[in-house]
Amino acid sequence: MNSIVSVSSISKKYQLPLSNKEVSKSLVSRIFNKKESEEYWAVKDVSFTLNKGDKLGIIGNNGAGKSTLLKILSKITKPTTGKVDIRGKVASLLEVGTGFHPELSGRDNIYLNGAILGMSKKQITQQFDEIVEFAGDQIIKFLDTPVKRYSSGMYVRLGFAISAHLDPDILIVDEVLAVGDADFQKKSLGKMKEVASKEKTILFVSHNLTAVANLCNKTLHLEKGYVKQFGETGEVLNNYLSAMQNNLLEQSFDHIEEAPGNDLVRLKYAKLTPALIGNQLIADVRNSLKIDIEFWNLLDDQNLNISLHIFASTGECIFNVGTQPKLLNKGVVQASLIIPGYFLNDGNYLVAFMIVKDKSIVLFNFEEVFNFEIADYREDTTWYGKWPGYVRPQFDFPIQQVSQKI
Amino acid sequence: MSFISNYRINQVRNDLELLLILANRDISVRYKQTFLGIIWAIIKPLVTMSVFLFAFKNVSNIKDLGGYPIQLVIFSGVLFWNFFANAFQFSSNSILTNSNLISKVYFPRIIIPISALSVPFIDFIIGFIIYLILSLSLNYPISYQIMYLPVVFLFLALFSLGLGLIFSSFAIKHRDFLQIIPLIVQYGFFITPIIYTSNELISKSWFQYYLYINPLVGLVEFFRFSLIRGYHILSFYDFFISATISIVVFILGLFIFKYKEDTFVDHL
Repeated sequence: MNSIVSVSSISKKYQLPLSNKEVSKSLVSRIFNKKESEEYWAVKDVSFTLNKGDKLGIIGNNGAGKSTLLKILSKITKPTTGKVDIRGKVASLLEVGTGFHPELSGRDNIYLNGAILGMSKKQITQQFDEIVEFAGDQIIKFLDTPVKRYSSGMYVRLGFAISAHLDPDILIVDEVLAVGDADFQKKSLGKMKEVASKEKTILFVSHNLTAVANLCNKTLHLEKGYVKQFGETGEVLNNYLSAMQNNLLEQSFDHIEEAPGNDLVRLKYAKLTPALIGNQLIADVRNSLKIDIEFWNLLDDQNLNISLHIFASTGECIFNVGTQPKLLNKGVVQASLIIPGYFLNDGNYLVAFMIVKDKSIVLFNFEEVFNFEIADYREDTTWYGKWPGYVRPQFDFPIQQVSQKI
Repeated sequence: MSFISNYRINQVRNDLELLLILANRDISVRYKQTFLGIIWAIIKPLVTMSVFLFAFKNVSNIKDLGGYPIQLVIFSGVLFWNFFANAFQFSSNSILTNSNLISKVYFPRIIIPISALSVPFIDFIIGFIIYLILSLSLNYPISYQIMYLPVVFLFLALFSLGLGLIFSSFAIKHRDFLQIIPLIVQYGFFITPIIYTSNELISKSWFQYYLYINPLVGLVEFFRFSLIRGYHILSFYDFFISATISIVVFILGLFIFKYKEDTFVDHL
């Protein structure tokens, strides 16, 4: 009865244009041929209710429908079917500094952005000094400078400062925490917690499970547009993590006839083992990964080597590593590789390898041997943004003060 | 109950404030980083008028239009057309140029095309002041008829906005509509009595039908009626027809916009 957000089986359909090849080239056939697009359900049959004061974390892989759901909840787009009932004033922060105009001064942009986010002029004027102070000393000096002259850091700080002073009943946030330097992060997170402690309802999308665990009492796990699970944060996160363990990490074939390969080589066994620490459930950036490969070699006297590729989920090859070539006879051949910890960044990866003869002829390419995910891990951090890059090295990078003079 | 209505009133006041602030944004950005600034709003209509004066006086040897001072007829026409052209173009493009806002925040979408009228409106006010100076210098000052100006202007604004709403609603999915806009603005200028008067057309058998197709004809002539002393070419009835059509276009625009606004974001 006292639910503040009630979402009943909403779905959102998009029409995806067919790829160029499939769209008929001539204008005439385009006019007469109606089927020019494909249907795609970004969100399908999603329902949940929130009570006043609930903090909901929304998690899921890329393309799970998180952003679409947020857009529907913030009324930016309409669901194809279903109903959303929200009682109270909603503010949605899908971006920092929405509507900032580069030509206008920081002062003008505070009023502009505030009005766009739903603040009244009076509210902005009342909180103006607070906003500027929150954004930092640097901003005060540049208050009457066009924001196009701001550094990206200043821009983001000003944007967040305005958002932080909104006073809605329901706040919808899309990873805006992932902004600014560490110091400002600390401030923003503090502000978020302060807001969270009030009787506010928050909907928060994040890739970062630590942030969700810290801030949210309820969690919605989306998968391919559907609700995988909705409930208490601890429970949902546990299931989410153990589901991630079901990645493809091992392949083993007892009978040579069933094994992938050809008349020259066949895969016998392949396993990826992360060196987990303590009661860890899934591998994170700290863990080293061991890859064991065994294959049947079906011909004698071959000069073979293995060439292994690791791909990011985007399809880019991150690296290629090979064994030395070796003269091998018929039978089982074994190889193993260790990828050290603090090498791969968090993300989804795919392993493929090929067996090469005489360093040049590919005998067989085993595609998608493993498909695994590496979770993020940070100690003592206030910054929850996605760590950029595919690799996460820990190089020695000392810093020191050499003089006190300027 | 009273809480609800209070909330609604606050909402409407916030929306109005947003409208003003967006209008203010467009105006203050308009002439940023120009040396002459707002003076451009004076120069542009004067240049347009001078070009046609040059052509009429020196090339065609035309000295007056329908018995009224040629400068006033042309300048008032240009003033009228500039407002229509800019209001129509800006509001048609407004949804696309503000797509960053529309895809990130919810507010009543209609605020955007309405706020797009602000810059043409300011240009119009400045042009109107120039017109006053020009009419005084030609010893042809305005008369009591000026009291009709707000009425004509209202219909002009509604018609321009209505057309803009229709085009902006369709242009989001089919950008072809953006190609049509410059054609209307360019050639409409010549098929509407902007640099001539309806005197030249009124005797034609198709003129009555033409009034139905192009409401700008009635509006521009009534606009001149309010500005130029003694100017009287079309009847009040003709104006009534054009005004009615303008309202119909505006309401049609509102309906189309209302129907399409929920899915704008999906096509941006």
